[in-house]
Amino acid sequence: MGLIIIQVKKITFFLTAMCFAVASCTKDKTDYEAEIDTLVPEYHEFKEAVSVHSDGYDISIEALNGTFFKGYNEIRLKITDSRTNGKANTSAVTFLPIRNNADGSNVSCPHRYDLVDKPDDGYFSGYSVFTDESGSDGSWELYISFTIAGQTHTVKQPISVQEQTNKNLNITTFTGKDDQQYFIALVSPQKPKVGENGLVAGIYRYNRPTYPPSGNFPDASQFSYTEVSDYTLQLDPRMPEPSMGNHSSPNNKDLIQQSDGLYHGVVNYTMTGNWTLNFILLNRQGQILKGTIVPTDFTPGVEGVKSELHIDILF
Amino acid sequence: MKNTSISFLVLFLGVNANAQHSHVQNDTTKTLEEVTITAIAKRKIETEMKMAVSVDEFLASSDNISFIKRGAYAWEPLLNNMSTERSTITIDGMHVFGACTDKMDPVTSYVESNNLSTIDITSGQAGSMHGATVAGSIDLKRKSTSFGLEKKWGGAYQTGVESSNKQFFNLGNLFYSSDRFVADGSIAFRKAGNYYDGNSNVVNHSQYQKFNTAVGLAYKTGELSSVRVDAIYDKAKDVGFPALPMDLWLSRAIITSASYKQLFEDGLLRVWDTKLYFNAVEHYMDDTKRPENLVHMDMPGWSTTYGLASRANLKHGDYSYEIQLNVYDNLSIAEMTMYPQDRSKKTMFAYSWPWVTTRFVGFSMNNSWDISEMSRLNFGGSLGWNYNHSKYVEFNWIFLPGTPQEKNRILPGLHASYQLNINQFNFSVGTGYGHRAPSVSEGYGYYIYNSFDRYDYIGNPNLKNEISYEANASAGYKNERMDIEANVNYFHIKNYIIGRILSLGSPMNYQSVGVKGYTSLNHARLFNMALNANYDILQHLHWKGMLTYARATDDKNGNLPFIRPLSYQTSLYFMHKQFGFQTSVNGDLAQEDYSPEYGEDLTPAYMVWNISADYTFSFRNYKAVLQVGAENLFNEYYSTYADWGNIPRMGRNVFTSLKFNF
Repeated sequence: MGLIIIQVKKITFFLTAMCFAVASCTKDKTDYEAEIDTLVPEYHEFKEAVSVHSDGYDISIEALNGTFFKGYNEIRLKITDSRTNGKANTSAVTFLPIRNNADGSNVSCPHRYDLVDKPDDGYFSGYSVFTDESGSDGSWELYISFTIAGQTHTVKQPISVQEQTNKNLNITTFTGKDDQQYFIALVSPQKPKVGENGLVAGIYRYNRPTYPPSGNFPDASQFSYTEVSDYTLQLDPRMPEPSMGNHSSPNNKDLIQQSDGLYHGVVNYTMTGNWTLNFILLNRQGQILKGTIVPTDFTPGVEGVKSELHIDILF
Repeated sequence: MKNTSISFLVLFLGVNANAQHSHVQNDTTKTLEEVTITAIAKRKIETEMKMAVSVDEFLASSDNISFIKRGAYAWEPLLNNMSTERSTITIDGMHVFGACTDKMDPVTSYVESNNLSTIDITSGQAGSMHGATVAGSIDLKRKSTSFGLEKKWGGAYQTGVESSNKQFFNLGNLFYSSDRFVADGSIAFRKAGNYYDGNSNVVNHSQYQKFNTAVGLAYKTGELSSVRVDAIYDKAKDVGFPALPMDLWLSRAIITSASYKQLFEDGLLRVWDTKLYFNAVEHYMDDTKRPENLVHMDMPGWSTTYGLASRANLKHGDYSYEIQLNVYDNLSIAEMTMYPQDRSKKTMFAYSWPWVTTRFVGFSMNNSWDISEMSRLNFGGSLGWNYNHSKYVEFNWIFLPGTPQEKNRILPGLHASYQLNINQFNFSVGTGYGHRAPSVSEGYGYYIYNSFDRYDYIGNPNLKNEISYEANASAGYKNERMDIEANVNYFHIKNYIIGRILSLGSPMNYQSVGVKGYTSLNHARLFNMALNANYDILQHLHWKGMLTYARATDDKNGNLPFIRPLSYQTSLYFMHKQFGFQTSVNGDLAQEDYSPEYGEDLTPAYMVWNISADYTFSFRNYKAVLQVGAENLFNEYYSTYADWGNIPRMGRNVFTSLKFNF
């Protein structure tokens, strides 16, 4: 009997040791959720990016996470009376970003000039699609005007535009076949997921000035942009890496304009990695302004061919 | 490879009811010793041709098992010409699921011949005792030593070499048996290099290494009750798969269980056996040893299962029945991460099994009624609940937007058969009806590359249950010198699940040509036939023959893939004093009814001749057997209809092995 008990103990020990040895896997599983989180930051909160004190009023401009990034920025502007700290009874707020380039030229970028009053939310709403970061080759300034009690106030405020590290919010600038300058800026999703994502983009055209500048700088008519309407942005997402062989996905939808002025479509990401959003921009008449059809062949080992109009993203 | 038939299988095939029934009767014996002794008396895992067989080789000797072979190791067993999704493969009733999306690790690859006592193969719905099935069940029975053997200690050791792949193996097992306590253990090592085909060319990437060990302990808690714990640990390393674009770096499995068994002397209930089990499998592929791969993909997989199996045998007069409750929970995970040649740069990540949970609760019953001395009626059924949950359902939404994350299915099954013995003739007819749920890959697989037809496969969680309507019959004749039996079965399977080319989506895997989605055919039909015969020509000269034929078509009368053409085997066995000589010939006719749609081409006929001789001797108290033989004696170059990518089978293989019993 003694022998048996020793046997049992030995074998039980062996069994337990074996269980422990195997309970831990040889290779760790990929922490998929954590990986997706770290690759792409996502911002939901509007914070003050810049504030100006002028003529007894405080002007606060908010952007997502309190930062202006290259690309599309939604802007919320609040004006308060410095004495009462209460909301000033403001009307007709205008907003104009200007980049002063090192070579002395001045350019703007797609933006909403006349901000929209949102009295229920307590701010004026707009956007600015910065085409470049602030740097040694140029700096950005905001020109803001607002009217209170019949009196118009103007403010000029230098700002800093940061590099956009999230490729899902990239922009592209190009000249269309109609010889006009266009801008496409990705607005959403900030943080794509595997599967179908609502893809939102803003499409803008630069309105070339017909008259020389007049009045005080800046003359807004020299820096005018339009949200193009009723265009179509055809979408063909691909994984361009040679190893992915021009892989694509089903169930994508072209982007068409909706009531918010932005273009909405669907992109279906089959897996994480590098993707290229290949576009073809069609005008109202269905004529191609820019973009080429990409081959649909599966070409392993060969870098995927991209449309001449595309935006690279990563998630 | 060697389809030498063995009489053991005839026992279980076609008229499985026999096996079920004898089981019940055995368990009614009064003491535990007798029960387990009958188990030991079952046929050992060896074929007549070769005593040191692998589990795969042993299974291959059955007339309703065929194999898809992707190399020299881990063959995928097809039961009634149906793939593993359609059968339940269990180890002592425990469900184990492979962790490889490419089926490189069927359950049978995680056991070894020296820790099994026998393999129960049950065709069709009669095999639903362990869970819902269409094709039937394969239950690998572990070895278990009985209490109070005359010999307290004992064991066996076997070693051998094979020439073609320079396989060297060592198998050992040991037992201890007393009145209250039993321990048995086994250990096995196999190492093989690349094998040579019939043209004497080396088949690269066909090597393997396997280590397997098992331990079982049983303790008698009372006169009629006992507890038992079991564990199997299996590790395969550096396994080549010549037919696939990648190999196996490592796979490991731990398979554990604890069971309690209670016998009853009188009353309706005779045996109650309950088992809790846990098993975990990990599987890591390796494609870095293939220079043709410009990209590398890591494809690790994990499968973890918890379960309960509780069985009771009851008997009342001529009427006996067996009921079983099966519960399990499985989590299957498989990842794909792709790298260019520079491994620091990751280019993609996706789940090929997005953390899929499968839960199953099923209740099965089998009844046997001895109507008269000559006839018996068997009938039974099962009712199961199958639940699936996909944690990262976004991967399933790519192709099927809005697919529910969870899916519940009810899986009913019914079967009946009638057996009649008239003098030396025996007959049986049977029928069955049953549902099965799609497998994890069929339901939730995502970009699973199939190197046979070179398509990436996408699962569909909304697939309907596969529904099988089955009929089977057998007829046999037996006298003192001969034994002949014919078995046929026919399956009409509604919603037969198979991959169909999708017009949407684009391939992802490097060698892929397109995307296929698992879809349901309206129906498919499968017909299997087997003819077995034995004849004792002289007292010490025996002949045996087997003929099988199968035919399967889809709803448009097209051929289904992996259906065995007409195949035959015939063998002679001669004994003289301590010597034994065997010779066998086996082969397939040409596979005329192949399926180009699924990547098949015409496989020509082949014939292989095998011989072996053995010598039994004793010294001191040891009994030993020495065997020498050759498979594919004429070095025929061939590949079978189910060899993945037409990889050639092994050429001439001289083997020798020595076995001691002590």
